[in-house]
Amino acid sequence: MAATLLKILLFPAYFSTDFDVHRNWLSITKLLPIDQWYLENTSEWTLDYPPFFAYFEWFLSRFVPGFVARDGCIELVAKGQFGIPTIFFQRFTVIASEIVLFAALQYYVTSSSNLKEKKRNFVVASSIVLSPGLFIVDHIHFQYNGFLLGILVLSIVNAKLGNYLQCGFWFAVLLCFKHIFLYIAPCFFVFLLSVYCLNTQSKLPTTFSELINCVRWKNLIKLGSTVIAVFLVAFGPFAYYGQLSNVFQRLFPFARGLTHAYWAPNIWAVYSLIDRVLIQLTLRVPGAARIISLVFNKIDYERLNNAGTLTRGLVGDVEFFILPNIKPNHTFLLTLFYQLLSLVPLLINPTFERFIGSMTLCAWASFLFGWHVHEKAILLVIIPFSFLVPFDRKLLPLYETLTASGYVSLFPLLFGSAEWLLKTLLTFVWFVIFSNSFNEVCEFSSSISRRVFILDRLNILYIVGLIPVCCVLQMIDIQSRNFAILKRFEFVNLIVYSAYCSIGVIGSWNMFSWLYFLDDSIWDRRIKEKEKTL
Amino acid sequence: MARSKFVSLFKSSPLYDFLIPFQRAQNQWVARYIIIVFAIIVRCAVGLGPYSGQASPPMYGDFEAQRHWMEITKHLPMKEWYFYDLQYWGLDYPPLTAFHSWILGELGSLTDYSWFALDLSRGIETNDLKSYMRITVLVSELMVYIPAVLMYTRWMGRNYNKASPIDQTIIAAAIIYQPSLIVIDHGHFQYNCVMLGLSLLAVVNLLEDNYALASIFFVLSLSFKQMALYYAPIFFFYLLSVCVWPVSRFNPLRLISIGVSVVVTFALMFLPFIYQGGFSQVVQIIVRVFPFDRGIFEDKVANFWCATNVVIKYKNIFTQSQLKNISLLLTLAGIAPSCIAIFLKPTKSLLTWCLSSCSLAFYLFSFQVHEKSILLPLMPITLLLNEVDSDVISMVCWIANISLFSMWPLLKRDNLALQYFVLGILSNWLMGNLSWVRMFLRKAKIPVTVRELATPVLPHNLFWKLVIIGSYSAASLLHFLDYYQEPPAHLPHIWIIANMVLSFGCFSLFWLWTNYKIVQKATQKLKAN
Repeated sequence: MAATLLKILLFPAYFSTDFDVHRNWLSITKLLPIDQWYLENTSEWTLDYPPFFAYFEWFLSRFVPGFVARDGCIELVAKGQFGIPTIFFQRFTVIASEIVLFAALQYYVTSSSNLKEKKRNFVVASSIVLSPGLFIVDHIHFQYNGFLLGILVLSIVNAKLGNYLQCGFWFAVLLCFKHIFLYIAPCFFVFLLSVYCLNTQSKLPTTFSELINCVRWKNLIKLGSTVIAVFLVAFGPFAYYGQLSNVFQRLFPFARGLTHAYWAPNIWAVYSLIDRVLIQLTLRVPGAARIISLVFNKIDYERLNNAGTLTRGLVGDVEFFILPNIKPNHTFLLTLFYQLLSLVPLLINPTFERFIGSMTLCAWASFLFGWHVHEKAILLVIIPFSFLVPFDRKLLPLYETLTASGYVSLFPLLFGSAEWLLKTLLTFVWFVIFSNSFNEVCEFSSSISRRVFILDRLNILYIVGLIPVCCVLQMIDIQSRNFAILKRFEFVNLIVYSAYCSIGVIGSWNMFSWLYFLDDSIWDRRIKEKEKTL
Repeated sequence: MARSKFVSLFKSSPLYDFLIPFQRAQNQWVARYIIIVFAIIVRCAVGLGPYSGQASPPMYGDFEAQRHWMEITKHLPMKEWYFYDLQYWGLDYPPLTAFHSWILGELGSLTDYSWFALDLSRGIETNDLKSYMRITVLVSELMVYIPAVLMYTRWMGRNYNKASPIDQTIIAAAIIYQPSLIVIDHGHFQYNCVMLGLSLLAVVNLLEDNYALASIFFVLSLSFKQMALYYAPIFFFYLLSVCVWPVSRFNPLRLISIGVSVVVTFALMFLPFIYQGGFSQVVQIIVRVFPFDRGIFEDKVANFWCATNVVIKYKNIFTQSQLKNISLLLTLAGIAPSCIAIFLKPTKSLLTWCLSSCSLAFYLFSFQVHEKSILLPLMPITLLLNEVDSDVISMVCWIANISLFSMWPLLKRDNLALQYFVLGILSNWLMGNLSWVRMFLRKAKIPVTVRELATPVLPHNLFWKLVIIGSYSAASLLHFLDYYQEPPAHLPHIWIIANMVLSFGCFSLFWLWTNYKIVQKATQKLKAN
């Protein structure tokens, strides 16, 4: 088993060699002194990841071979002029950096205590390694997610093994690589606090001294100093040069719109879809306008008439015409609310299963309600979830729905006709393999009665429905060159993708929350065993 | 003949590790679909790479030729197909290719008319067109070649080597992931898979004793690409001999039915042309399809003529027609052993062996051979992976690698170097030929698990061990020199020629070996009787 995992190393080496989108930060870190990194803006693609990532790029740029550099890999220009050597080099760095992920997962597999668990962990590990999401995003679209998720896995494994200090360390490192992991930072914070720094066994403190004893000060100091040290290493140099404000401006650009250029399949996608439908209704259907204006008071007809032109163009900045507009702090509050909700049980009973569960929920909440969410963020939900699935059979249908809709929602990232077959088949074969093997290794739950069978059927129907959706949309895309009328649907295509996928993502989120809050047997092994003996 | 218990010879391969979880009866369809889908994925990924003649006006390459045929067959009446502007990639494959192109051209025009607009579309190179063409190859392969391979291994599993269904799937996967065919069809761009698949279907039907069907499939294959003639002698003698032997039960009905099906299929292929343009059409097709006025070899190819040409300059000694006759004689001599064997002993276990030997003899000795023609002998050779003999397996893996190597100059010209290396490594790794790397890692104290090798990479015979190791090291040396060392000025093609001579040596040794095996198997059978 362990051997097979190692062999998988060769696997992505194959696919990733194909060429596609490519970005260029190497030059900034290579050519400029450190205090200029976050100021440079010759190119549109400014450095907007945290410092460790910048260091990482700097490290990579040391290894640019001569013939690649001559190819124009590290020229600091507005738009990169480069050829095949550069593409090869960059793709190679992705593969090489992914070794971190393999190593972390290997660690996870070897850390398992018995053979049954090992088999289960192996399925989890290989499902992550072979994930079509990683293929699409990392190896074709081009990013370094595999490497970063490797660090995440490392900290998860350490949490499982009880090395809480290392868990905190790795997560802090991860945060300094890519700040998108802030989505799941709350659950790490609460988990480590509760399991490492507090005495949860003791009763509620009644006196002040008990309150103080409740906290394990030694552990708190150890953990705190580790995390602070990591951040110091990361941001120290920039603080020294007085660049901190620039760094933070780059990291948190609130100026961007509510939804990303391709709509991520979240609440806001559905929200905007409803808005669009309402617009069409008011404009086309007589009488509908009256009903709508009863609900939403006023309709600005002048804006509405311009709406047709506004919607089709860039979606970067979405305006709502009928439904109330959304501000960043609305999304922030919603996200926070749902995250806090998931953190409460974790604080009370910090088991490993709950920790992963709340991590999934945190990521999910931010994905669904966050401001300017990228659809790639779905990986952040799927990866922790895959660690969770083998614990209980009840989670499997949810997982299937989530992965199917999540990975399909990544499809619009690759719009070329050449990759269409590749991405669909990869997702399809992955899905078939792993729904089979998860089915085999999942632990049966004792309380099967709580499963609602009609929902299972709906799940399957939904997943099967993805296939015709993909095919029809692609057909429309192909035929749009012949029939001018279909050209108008270009944007509708994307809407359909994200709307259909968001049904899946939101639906499985609901079910997951239900299980998380109401079904204790999944989250605590002791309860589960108790139920089994009954 | 059949062993009582089949031991999978791919037991230690990664392929086995991947597919063995699906060995339960209800899961076996999953394994089959996984290898097919994964085969498509690999082919798609190769298809993202460049094709032959990309961005090289004015003539471009094979890709443009195929596209051009779709263009002319879509727009012109049938009688002009073989006459239209012959200087620019005139149609020079038999009728079935023309019909195939016609259908694809019609379908493609539904999507985008400009792809196949007459004359205007010459040299068109858009990404969407490329994807369309790639998909047509993929679909053709999926419809013909892959089912044929699965049928073949299934028959073998049931009647010959008694492999369990999961082992059959593993063997089929090993055949489907043969790198040379993938890189030529999906990288360089050709439709060889259709011709090979049709021939393979004919073989399967022979095994099932459907003689008329077999001959129909074989004629279809011939009328897709005339290169299928490499297999023709074996088919001919096998069919003849099953009708003739034993003399006491001479079967004229069978002979007639075979003959009728051959003639009718050919007639169906040519009738539309005769109907539209008279008999001169047939003459023109034959002239186009068999261009005997070209030289004895065109490019550098690892056959007898080109390899010995290094020493003996044939063109200075003999005239063109003399050369033709000599090559005809040599080819006849080359195919004689296998033809005689199959004629005297028409057994099913000999069939694949004789096909390999005969087509390899054609490749080595016949006139006007192209380096891509190695795919023809390679197809039956890879089918030999069904044999229950680890020596055979290692020989087959070796020759598959050498044939990939022999196409290196061509692939390098097409900028397919990356795909060449990746596919080579992928297929060898899948078949477990790279397991020795792990042993070295183990020796270097790197903790990796090593299992008992069921398939040794090298055969048991010392001579073959030396040959295989020697050829591999020579091949790697050549790659190394090719990359780091400019060829000397007065010998600009030295690396290509070395490649060719080396491959020729390996091929001819392998050819001798197949003949030896054929004789061995045929006489074994006699003794047993």
